[in-house]
This record gives sequence, C-alpha cells and structure tokens, in this order.
Amino acid sequence: MLYFAELYGKKVTSADGKAVGRLTDFAFLATDQPLITKLRIDTKVGHILVPISSMKAVNGTIILSPGYETSGVADNELSVRIHLLDQQIIDLKGNKVVRVNDVVIQDKPYFVIAGVDVGMLGIARWLKLEQWLNRQVSYFGTSLRSDFLPWENIQPVELSRGKVQLKREEAKLTKLAPEDLADHLERLSVKNLTKILDLLPNEYEAEVIQNLNVSRQRELLRSIQPKHAASILSLIDPDEAVDILLTLSERRRQIITPLLTEEARARIDYLLSLSTTDIGSLATTDFFTADPEETATSVRRRMKRETTLATPLTYIYVINKKKELVGVCNLHELLLQDGDVPMYKFMIPNVVAVYLTTPPEIAMKKMIKYKIYSLPIINDRRGLLGIVTIDDLVENMQEKLT
Amino acid sequence: MKYWLNNWKRRLLIAVAIIGPGIITAVADNDAAGVSTYSMAAATFGYQIFIILIPMTILLAVTQEIGARIAIVAEKGLADLIRERYGVRIALVMYGLLFFVNLAVVIMNVAGLKSALILFGLNPYIFLPAIIVGLFLFVALNSYSIVERFFLLLIVFYGTYIASAFMAKPDWGLAVQSLVVPTGSITPRFLYTAIAVIGTTITAWGQFFINSYVKDKHLTIEQLKYSRLEVYLGAIVTDTLTFFLMVAVAATIFANKLTITNAAGAALAITPFAGQFAGLLFGIGLLFAGLLGCVIVALTTAYAFSEFFGYSGSLDEHFRQSRLFYTTLLVQLVIGTIVALMPNISLFKITLAANFVNGAILPIIFFFLYQFANNEAIMGAHVNNKAQNWMLAISSVIIITSVIVGIVGQLMGW
Repeated sequence: MLYFAELYGKKVTSADGKAVGRLTDFAFLATDQPLITKLRIDTKVGHILVPISSMKAVNGTIILSPGYETSGVADNELSVRIHLLDQQIIDLKGNKVVRVNDVVIQDKPYFVIAGVDVGMLGIARWLKLEQWLNRQVSYFGTSLRSDFLPWENIQPVELSRGKVQLKREEAKLTKLAPEDLADHLERLSVKNLTKILDLLPNEYEAEVIQNLNVSRQRELLRSIQPKHAASILSLIDPDEAVDILLTLSERRRQIITPLLTEEARARIDYLLSLSTTDIGSLATTDFFTADPEETATSVRRRMKRETTLATPLTYIYVINKKKELVGVCNLHELLLQDGDVPMYKFMIPNVVAVYLTTPPEIAMKKMIKYKIYSLPIINDRRGLLGIVTIDDLVENMQEKLT
Repeated sequence: MKYWLNNWKRRLLIAVAIIGPGIITAVADNDAAGVSTYSMAAATFGYQIFIILIPMTILLAVTQEIGARIAIVAEKGLADLIRERYGVRIALVMYGLLFFVNLAVVIMNVAGLKSALILFGLNPYIFLPAIIVGLFLFVALNSYSIVERFFLLLIVFYGTYIASAFMAKPDWGLAVQSLVVPTGSITPRFLYTAIAVIGTTITAWGQFFINSYVKDKHLTIEQLKYSRLEVYLGAIVTDTLTFFLMVAVAATIFANKLTITNAAGAALAITPFAGQFAGLLFGIGLLFAGLLGCVIVALTTAYAFSEFFGYSGSLDEHFRQSRLFYTTLLVQLVIGTIVALMPNISLFKITLAANFVNGAILPIIFFFLYQFANNEAIMGAHVNNKAQNWMLAISSVIIITSVIVGIVGQLMGW
C-alpha cells in the first residue's frame, strides 16, 4: 500500500542512476478497476509521461527500466492530481461529504488505486507530520487512523466530468456494511488486508473481521500482534470470537486469551468450555432474561437500557429463583401486553430447548418445525447455558456442505 | 405599454430575488471597526477626507464583482478553488491566515458591540454574552433566506447615520463638493488615514464572503448580469452610508475641533451639537454595525473551513448536518466575546495585527482572483476583460502601499 503524498516529488532516475526528474502525477483509467497506467515526471525541460510498466522500484527513489518510452495522454485516462486529489467528494444527492486528502495506491500485483484517504492523517502526510502527529497522540494512549474510502464507493464515470461522487447516499466508509467490505477484502493478500484494516476504527475493524471467511480469519489472527488480536476479539460477538479462537493453535490461543478484557475473557472462557460439542461451539451468551414476576413495562424499560450493544434480540427467556428456564416470550407478545402484567401471565411455559449433546441437524429441525429463530441450550437441571441462533446454525450447515 | 410593464415587473422580481450578497457584504464592510475608523477620519480631517470616497467605491465594486462572478460561473467558492488548484498545503496556510485575521476582526466588532452597550448603560458582562449566544442560535437554526432577511434588516439600521447627519445641520454644499474637489494639503497623516479607511472597507474576509455567500444563494449564470448590478449597487449604498456618517461627524466634532478615539466617543461627542437623539441614533448604528460585522466575519471563516476541507457547510443545513461549519462559527464568536470582555485588553494591538495580516493576505487573494478570473477552464466566456484586470492590478498596488504605509504609520505614531 502506497500513499500518493509519499510518492509525490520523489526522485526518478534511469537504470544507470542518472537523474530524470521528479514524480508529480499518475494517469489512471476511470473504471471499476482503476489501473494506473502512466507516471508523470517533471524534468528540467517540461514533463514526460512514462508507462507504469517501465517503473522498476520504489525504494527511496524510483528507477526506470532501461530504454523506457514516453507517451501522451490517452482519451480514457485521468490524472490523480487534477481529477482526484483535493477534489470535493459528494454523495448521491450532491451533498458535500469531505475532500480527498490523499490517494491510496495498491502496488501488488499491479498498480491500482485502492481508494482515497479522507482523514486528518491524509493532510498530515502532505506536511510530513504524520509520524510526529501519531507520536503526540500516542502519549494520550490512543492512535490516529486514516479514514479510508475504498474505490468501490466512487462512481468512476463521474470522475471525468470533474465530480468525485459516491455510489451511495451515506458518506463514510464506516457506513459501508461490514459484510460488503469483508467480501471485497477477502480478495486481497493478508499483508494488504492488515494494512487496510489498520485504517479502520477498532469497532468497525472487528465487525469486518467477523465477516471474513474462516481461513482468512485464521491467517489474519496468526499474523497480527497478540495484543491487537485480543483487542479485536474483545470487541466482536463472543460466539464469533470463540469460533475464531478455535481455528487457532492451542499455543496461540493461550497467548491471546490472557490479553482479552476481563468481561470478554469470562464470556469467551465460558463459551469455550461449552464448545466441546457441535451445538456448544455455536452457542452465544447474547441473550436476555427476565424474572417471572417482573412486569412488561419493567422488562421493556430494561431492554432499552441494557441491550443497546447486543445483537438483535428475538426472545426473552424467563428464569425463576432456582435459575431454571421456566418460560419464553417473543418481542411481539411483550409489546402487546399492558404495562403492569407480570411475565408469568403471558410467557409460553413449554420452552422448546436443546442440550449440549443435541446434534445441530436436530436443532435445525426443531427451529423449522416450531418457527423459532433461536433455541435455548439447557443442562439437565433446566439451567440456561446459552442460545444458538438460526444464522449461526445455517452457517454451520453451509460450511459442512462445501 | 402593457408589455413594457410586464417586462418591468419581471425585472423587478429578478432584482428582488438576487438582492442580498452584494449589499450585505458591502455594508458589512462598514462594521464596527469601519465605523470607528470613519469617525476618527472625519473627526480629524472633516470634509477633506471625502475625496477618497468615490475611488474607494470603484475599488470595492470591482473587486467584489470579480468574486461574485467566479462564484456564479464556477459554482465554487474562492477557498474551493484554492484547495483544488493549489493543493492542501497552500490551502492550510491560507486558512490559518484567514482564521487569524478574521478572529481579530470579530474581536473588534464584539468590542464595538460592547462599547455601544456601555453607551446605553447596559452591563456588557450580562448583555454581550446573551446577544452573542442569541445571534449564534438564530443563524444556526434558521434557513439561508431568513438569515439573509435578518442581515438586510440590520442594514436598515445604518439609516440612523443619515438621520444623524441631517440633525447635525451640515453645510451640504461643501460636503458634496468635497467628494470631487480636493481641499486642504496632503500630509503623511492624511494619507495614512485615507489608507486606513480603504483598508477597513476592502478586506480579505470580504473577498471570501461575497464568494461563498453568492454560492450559497445558488444564483445561476442567467442572473450574472443582475448580480453584477447588485454588487455595484451594494458598493454605492455602503459608501453613501459612509458619506452620511462622516457628514455627521465632520459637521459636529470636526467643526468644533474635538478629538475622539473611537465610535462610541463619536456618539457622545455628537450629542451636544446635534442633540441627544442624534447621539443615540449614532450609537444604535454602532450597535448594529457590530452585530452584522461579528456574525458575517465569523461566518466567512466557517464558509472557508467547509470549502477548504470539503465538509458540508450551508446556512440552509441543520446544525447536525453542518456541524463543523457551525462549530467554526461558534468558536470565533466565543473567543471574540471572551477577549472583548477581558478588562485590560489592548484593542490597539489587535487592530494593528489584524491590519497587518489583512494587508499581507489581500494581495495574495487578488493574485488568486486574477488567476481564477482569467482561467478559461473555470470561467469560460466570463473571463476578466482588460479593464477588470487593470483595476485588479491597481487595487493590489493601492492596497499593498496602503498596508505598508499604514503599518509604518501606526508604528511611528502619525
């Protein structure tokens, strides 16, 4: 991953070490795959355009291959500096979003524009202050991240009309659904993948990782620092975290788990202890419980307060004083009740549940038969261990099939 | 006849639709700092200073027209173009300079507001923050068209200077004659004062503001002709108001050989000669000049910020949508209020610094105006003609000279 701000003004020499000039611009194709085609070099006598294939190395200086050719601009080529850099980004409705502060270039396997940087660091990079700024910020125990906007979000056709327009109305990359970004990122090498993930805010990064396929998750968690891995795992849903941890070697797992936040570790340890069986490995602790005597209003109020961070809930499980699962109720039923009605008046006492030893296929059949989207997993004392949701089950089935 | 009437009606409608940016920007040039400078100039030199009013009007009209034309044709603000054509580094430097000079002008206007409040016996520690907060909320919560009507309403209060002038019972013949016939000898002190008057009228923020504000109004290229007239009209209205203000001062303070140090002083000094009501009107004028000045100059910084860095910024947008835009506006107003309320603050030093940076930045802005207004890729058929380029060049020379003379003058204590 290269930044235009860091390449701009770099010395260009010929293969025999003679100075040619300085790099000032790139030409690229305004298509869905924005290949960089030429580099513009400002020499002492005007400027030349050289095909990117003649560019040999980008260490300290840029070296051109022997006998490089020069050419003119083709009709379908645009300039990074004129058409992209510093331009206003607008969304579909024409609202101003932000400006392009820097252009992010992917150099392998070929030179292509990966996206644009719209953050503060993009500006700092032009002032050569990026590292300094990061150092200052690190004193406060945090780090600055670039705001990266991938090329997929930009309408290439509009570029030639002088507009950097987004494909969607929402502005920022962080609003791109993590699932979509994950699909895109799966095509990159692990090295480039980590670079892009580094650009994202932590919570968002965690969500994206959660949506990558298993082999990608494994590769990634192997290659990044244990501390970073732990911070990501602490942020994602505990059942997903367990899935990812289970793909790692025992040793690696033991390095990472102690670094997790205490709350996350407790939940993950618990789920790991369940993961001895098929259903157990799919379990999650993201569920909501209520007391049989609790009124509908109280439950509704508590849900509003306590479950803002949870994945969407579909059922409320009713647990008595002896910690037995005695009933269940779905959100619609809860909404229909008058405020002062206690849970036991309207819950369904015959709870459809599974045990740790139940095979996933049977669990699936129960879900289909009773039209339920998540099943409680109980032990033989009717204690609630966790729940298994339909999406996790389906995913598990799909993996088995492929 | 009927056709003619319809045509006339249509034109009037267009005129009403486009009216705003030119007049508001130009009249805002007569902000509290301007009112102080004009008062002192007229108190010191009387009718002699009137000779610069007509050339000053032409300078103002020409420079503002170029800014408005770029905004209409390119649909971009000055800051947009600087960022897109010259890159982020130059954009940052320009924004830094503009922020600083605008802040100084905001402080001067809030200080003007404060002295007007004191004049009316109102406690500035209570009323000044209240007014500033109210002003901000009004601008942030209302749409462009309502805010624009508010600005136009503020301008009506400048009419108080006309009333003050009549109450001062001046020698109108001499006043009008002094506009075209030079009188008295030209001393360094006169030159310095004349230049200070031009410097507070043609400003860096004025150039940015007309541009952003016209763009925010979304005028079309068909309205270019009318917009040009409106800008010219704005320059004429502004300097007519300046004329009356100076008449009021010249006929009273100068005629009785008094000295004043600021606009509030002028309001007090007028009273014995033109009556209490005239002094009151003069004070009201200062109050509204401060109001208009501080909000418009702070707004300029906010527009420039959103243009330089590409964030959404429009008076038509809600606070949540244009958060950074309104935050910039608020920051300038809050700092302005705090500084103006500090007990031992030296406004003289702030004025000196503001004039210096304003002077330093104006030739650069004229350079950008020249570049953009002559660029066919941006302006198409509407590029500058030769006369306009000459006027711009002459303006630059006058402004640069004025700044150098002004600073030397202030340092030497002329």
